[in-house]
Amino acid sequence: MVKREIVIFFLLFLLGLFLVYTYSEVTKSKERIFERIEQHEISKIAYVLQNMQQQILKHIHEYDYQDLITFFKEKEHAIAYEEMLAMMLTSDVKYSYILYRDEERKFRFLLDASKTDKASFNQKFDVNAHEYDLVYTTKKSQIIRQQNIENLYVTYLHPIIKNGEVVALFNIDFTTDIKSIILESIKPLETLFTLLTLFVVIFMAMTLMQIFHYFITKKKIFTDPLTKTFNRNYLEEISSVLNLGNYSLAMLDLDKFKIINDTYGHKAGDYVLSHASQIIKNSIRDNDIFVRYGGEEFLLFINNRDSKRDICERVRDKIAKEKFVYNGHEIYVTLSIGLHTNPYLEKNMQEAIKKADTMLYEAKKNGRNRVVVYDEKRETTASSSFSSKDLAFVKEALDEDRVTCYYQPIYNHKTGEVFKYEALVRIIAQDGTIITPYQFLPQIKSTNMHYKLTQRILALVFEKFRTNQKLVSINLSFTDLNNPDIEETIIQALRVDQDLASRITFEILESDEVDDIESFKQKIHMLHSLKAKVSIDDFGSGYSNFKRIIDTEANYLKIDGSLVKNIHKNSKDFKVVKSIVHFATQSNMQTIAEFVHSKEVYEKLLSLDIDYMQGYYIAAPTPELLKKEELFQ
Amino acid sequence: MKKLFLLLLVLTLFANDKDIIQAQILEKIIQNLSTNQKVVVWSDNREIIKEFNKKGNIATTQDCHLASIIILEDKKSLEKELCKKAVFVLDYALLSEIPHSFGSMFYKKGRPNIVIINSRIKEQNIKISKELEPYLEEKIW
Repeated sequence: MVKREIVIFFLLFLLGLFLVYTYSEVTKSKERIFERIEQHEISKIAYVLQNMQQQILKHIHEYDYQDLITFFKEKEHAIAYEEMLAMMLTSDVKYSYILYRDEERKFRFLLDASKTDKASFNQKFDVNAHEYDLVYTTKKSQIIRQQNIENLYVTYLHPIIKNGEVVALFNIDFTTDIKSIILESIKPLETLFTLLTLFVVIFMAMTLMQIFHYFITKKKIFTDPLTKTFNRNYLEEISSVLNLGNYSLAMLDLDKFKIINDTYGHKAGDYVLSHASQIIKNSIRDNDIFVRYGGEEFLLFINNRDSKRDICERVRDKIAKEKFVYNGHEIYVTLSIGLHTNPYLEKNMQEAIKKADTMLYEAKKNGRNRVVVYDEKRETTASSSFSSKDLAFVKEALDEDRVTCYYQPIYNHKTGEVFKYEALVRIIAQDGTIITPYQFLPQIKSTNMHYKLTQRILALVFEKFRTNQKLVSINLSFTDLNNPDIEETIIQALRVDQDLASRITFEILESDEVDDIESFKQKIHMLHSLKAKVSIDDFGSGYSNFKRIIDTEANYLKIDGSLVKNIHKNSKDFKVVKSIVHFATQSNMQTIAEFVHSKEVYEKLLSLDIDYMQGYYIAAPTPELLKKEELFQ
Repeated sequence: MKKLFLLLLVLTLFANDKDIIQAQILEKIIQNLSTNQKVVVWSDNREIIKEFNKKGNIATTQDCHLASIIILEDKKSLEKELCKKAVFVLDYALLSEIPHSFGSMFYKKGRPNIVIINSRIKEQNIKISKELEPYLEEKIW
C-alpha cells in the first residue's frame, strides 16, 4: 500500500516541480516581454529626440541665443517645439517635456508638450530620482523604472548636449497601459498555475499524512503492546523476505507460566512476560530479531555469529537468575529454548520454526530450563512428515481462542442412560468450519504445540464439568502425561476438587511410546491417587500388552474401533472382541465399544455383554451434552 | 488564511494610497512650519484631517475660524473673512488665485511637488525649517 502512496507522492512532487518551473518561466518571459517592448519603444523615441536635439541646437546657433532658457522664453519657439514634442504623445507616452537644472540644482520646466497636467515655463519640478543628476554627470540617457508613480512605468531621460555640456534633458514618461494589458492577459494563466500548485501541495500534504499514518499504524500492527517486541504479524510480513541464511532460530518458552498466572494473577503474569522480554532484549544485539510468538512463547532470530548456543544459554541463565518481584511476591521463572542453528536448510520459515519448536518440546520433556539444539543428522528421517502449515494453524487457533471440545455420549445400554461423555477436540477454522483432530493432531505430534493444545483441552473440560455432575473422558497420550506442565495442570485442578476428579476418566493410548513402564505405572498411579479413573484407549489393535494393562489397574478398556466396526459380519473380529470382554471382566475392568455405527453392530455387541457403547449410531459428537432422549436420532 | 486573503483583497481594491501619502507629506510640511500662533489645521479635504487625527501629531479643528493654517483644495471653500489666515493650497494654480496662500503641495506628472513662496511666508511671519528650504520659490511661474 505504502509503495503506491510513495509513487503518488513522487509523481506529485515531480508535477509540483514542473509547475514551479513553468510558473518561473512564465514570469521570466513576462519580464522579457516588458524589456523587449521597452527597448523597442525607447529606441524609437531616442532616435526622434536625437533629431530634435540637433534641430534645437541648430536653431539656437542660427538665432544666436545664449542658452535654452532665453530660446524657449520666446513664445514662437516654445510653441513650435511644443508641437514637435507633442507628436510623441501616444497611448504609450503620457508626458513629454524638457527640463533643465538651475544654479540651485533645482529642475525646472523649459517646455511641456503634455496634453494634461501641463506645467508653466520655468516651474520648479521636484524630482527624487538620482538618474536626473546622472544625466548631467554621465551625459548619457537614463531609464527610470517607476514603482510608485501612478500610471507610469518607465521614464526615459535624454540629454541635450551643447558644447560638450548637458544643458537640459528630454523627459518622456511612458504609461503603464501596455504592462497592464500584458499582465491582464497573463493573469488567468498565472491564476491557473497558482491554483494547480496549490492543489498539488494539498495533495502532497495529504499523501504525506497518509504515509505517516501508514507507518504509525504499521508500527502498532507489528508491535506486541505488552512486551513491546515484534508480534506474529511482523513475522508474517518478513517471512518472505528474511534470509534465513543469516540467522539461527531459537524458540523460547517460559516454563510453568500458567502456574504464575494461576497463583499470582494475570497482571503478575503480564509483568513477568514484559520484564522477561526486556531481559532477553537486553541480552541480544540490534540486528537480532525478537518476536513474541504468542502467549509465553518467543522466537529469536540470532544474526549469524559464533556460539549461538552460548547466546541462548546466557539468555536462559539470566532469566533463571532473575528475581521477578510483583506486589511483594518473589517469582522465579525458567526458560526452555529450542535452537535450530541452520534454519536455511528448511523449506521455509514455518518449517524452521517447527524444528525449533520440536527442540523446545525436547527441552521441556527433559526437565525444562535448558537449551536443546537441533541435530540435522539425527532428525532427517523423523522430520519428513512435518507440516509447518498445521503448526501455525493450531498456534493461531490457540491464540484466537478457536479451540473447542465436542462431546460424544458413551451409552449404558443396560440402563438406557448416558453413562458419560468423551471430550473430542475441534478447531473452529477462521471461516467457521469445524476441523476434526485427524486433520491437525498427527502433524503437531512431538512439538511443544501438542502440549499447549492438551493443556487448553484440559482447561476447557475441567471448566465445563466442574459443576454439572456429569462424567467425562479425556484423551491423553503417554507423552502428554509425561509432560511436567500437563501433570501439574491436572494435579492442580483435581487435587482441590475431588468431586470433579471422581467424574473424570483419562483415556490413555497404550502405544510404543511407553518406553518406560515404571514411569507409565507411576503416572497412572498418580491419576488414581487423585480419584480420577483411567481407561485404556484403542485396545486390541496395534500395540497391546496384556501384562502391562493388568499392572496399570485401569478402570476401563476401550475396544478399538477397527475390531468393532465389522463385528456383525466378521466372525474373527467377533471372537477377538469376545476375548477382550472376557479378559476385562476377569481383570475387573469395564468395557467400552467404540465405532458403533449401525444397528447391526449395536445388536451384535448386545450379545457380548459389553458394558458401554459409543458411536454415530448412538450419537455423533456435539458441542452440547446430549440427553438420553436425544440418542438414536 | 482565507480571512487574511479577503482582507488583503479588500485593502488592495479600496485603499487610497495617494491620499495617505499626501497627508503624510502635508504633516511633514506643517511640522516644519512655525507661526506666531499655535498651529491648528483646518482643511476642506476630510481625508487629510482624518489622517492627521489618526496620527495625532497635528492639532486640527472642524471650525475653520479656530484654525491657524488652512489647507485648501477648493477655492470655493474659502470664506472671505478667512483670507487673512495662512493658506496652504493643494493646487499650484491656486497659489496665483489666492494671493494670501503661502505654499502648495500638489502632484505634477504623478510626482508629489512642494512649492513655498518666500515673499508670502515673510509677509505672514511664517518660519520654515531647513528641510523646507529647497522648496522655496521667489515667484509663481
